[in-house]
Amino acid sequence: MGKVYHALAALLLPACFAADAVPLGQPPPGKTFLVVLSHHDDHTWEWGFGGFLARLTDSGWSGYYVRTTNDEKDGREWGPNDQVNLRESVEAVQHLGLKKVISLNWRNDHMSSVPLKEVRAQYILLIRKYRPDAVMSWNPWGHYDRNPDHRRVARAIGEAVWMAGLENVHPEHLSAGLKPHRVPVVYYSQRADYGRGHTPNIAIEFNEAQLLRKVEAYWAHRNVRGVPTSPGVKRGEMEAPSLEAGKRAGVKYAELFYRIEEWDHIPGLRDYLLENARAK
Amino acid sequence: MRAILLLLLAVAVQARTVLVVTADAPDFVLAAGGAIAAMAAAGDRVVLVRVTNDDKDSWNLSPEETASRVKGEVERAAKLLGIAQVHSLGYRAGELGGVSPTEIRDRILFYVRLLKPDAMLIPNPYAEYVEVLDRHYTGMAAEEARRIAALANHQPPFAEAGLSTHVVKELFYYAQPFDPRRREAESTATFAPQPKVVDIGSTFDRKLLAAQALQTINYSMAMRIRKRLDDTARRLPLLDVVNEDSVRKLVEINVRKLGEIAARESAYKLAEEFFYSGPDFQVPAKLR
Repeated sequence: MGKVYHALAALLLPACFAADAVPLGQPPPGKTFLVVLSHHDDHTWEWGFGGFLARLTDSGWSGYYVRTTNDEKDGREWGPNDQVNLRESVEAVQHLGLKKVISLNWRNDHMSSVPLKEVRAQYILLIRKYRPDAVMSWNPWGHYDRNPDHRRVARAIGEAVWMAGLENVHPEHLSAGLKPHRVPVVYYSQRADYGRGHTPNIAIEFNEAQLLRKVEAYWAHRNVRGVPTSPGVKRGEMEAPSLEAGKRAGVKYAELFYRIEEWDHIPGLRDYLLENARAK
Repeated sequence: MRAILLLLLAVAVQARTVLVVTADAPDFVLAAGGAIAAMAAAGDRVVLVRVTNDDKDSWNLSPEETASRVKGEVERAAKLLGIAQVHSLGYRAGELGGVSPTEIRDRILFYVRLLKPDAMLIPNPYAEYVEVLDRHYTGMAAEEARRIAALANHQPPFAEAGLSTHVVKELFYYAQPFDPRRREAESTATFAPQPKVVDIGSTFDRKLLAAQALQTINYSMAMRIRKRLDDTARRLPLLDVVNEDSVRKLVEINVRKLGEIAARESAYKLAEEFFYSGPDFQVPAKLR
């Protein structure tokens, strides 16, 4: 009976694994990325982008972090939270190799009542200024995220990434010398602590050194995370989800995203362009 | 003579009114143009409500010029599909997120009660990775308009104006397949309306002509592809010269491939796929 059980398990387990597998992908071509999220610490937690960002900056990319809210609610003391969280955010993204934090200072946990077009306009301007080859954010089509700031940021950036490419959208930007720019590749993440919010379509691998930078970035947010009780706890918080994601892609450490590629917005031409566009 | 009269009478009796709601110029043509052409060819009276004015998507044209040109082009495309009337609500493109959903809903509701359609074709508001969120907002508004059209306590002033309540028997949700690798949107895995694949082999040519009539948006698409390729040191031989012929060919490749994607799991060569709830529709027991 034991042998039969083991034989069945050997047959079934790989099938279960395959059903949950996520294909391993390579970072896109380019040199600039923009991470657009709601809060000071969204860039690096179990649903963040820390390992991926560290890998990109190691490869020579320039990265910028857009913190949309002022994080006034998050932390130990309401008054100073905004400034403390901003300082710690600057420190955290430095661990990942990003160049700058751009803080938009919308009121934390009040984004449901913010007009989407106003936030979108700010993102469009920043996209035209920095001309990113990739943008990372929350998934506008994701589900089960109870944080309204995440949902609103996702909706606004979901439109900004393509509308920034149209001259007739905010033509005033053009008067200042900015040019239209459609973001070619977008990586979306989605928190999964209240239901599977989306189905990732790509895994990005990173190495141990990059994991350690992700760990430092995570714990740099002392105002909300405190101080780790031991080196094991410190590393484990970020290592465990990275190992779990890595398992699904057949590597040691990874993060999982939904990636929208260059031609996905024209599904009838996508294959044709991939097959026929060639280097000059 | 009597037989012809009887035939005409039979057609008149069976002919339906179909209300198509679209957020923007290309969406209804690309996602549902073949089915619309088939309905019109079968004698149905098809009416289009277009929610935005498409003023953003063009190449080197002002928003005002863009909106004006696209209006004419949509009307030409609609005529090619056999659509009898086009009503434009005139909202600015890309800005429906800032418009009251109730306002959009009630403007669509007005047409539902005015035209008393047997069927409605609306953008699927649950489709994922549709980057033009105007389509999502339009779909939500149209879906709700269809539901409340039957309820007398919604918009009593409409009744004062003679627009009585109405039940729309058939509903088709349409969307382009923006995620060809995982076409079933996660949010619709248990969506009660059922997939309905429509053969568009006999109406494909008309759909293509209608898509090609949208010249302003098509030229913009071609130029933006060309610019992206130029910026990344690539070329597409078809777009080495962007002119009327190359744009028409590009549109043909696009429309044909969309038809092939929708037909993939059917016996058809070219198709369109909808989610459908018909007169006998009820939510399946397993989902109640």
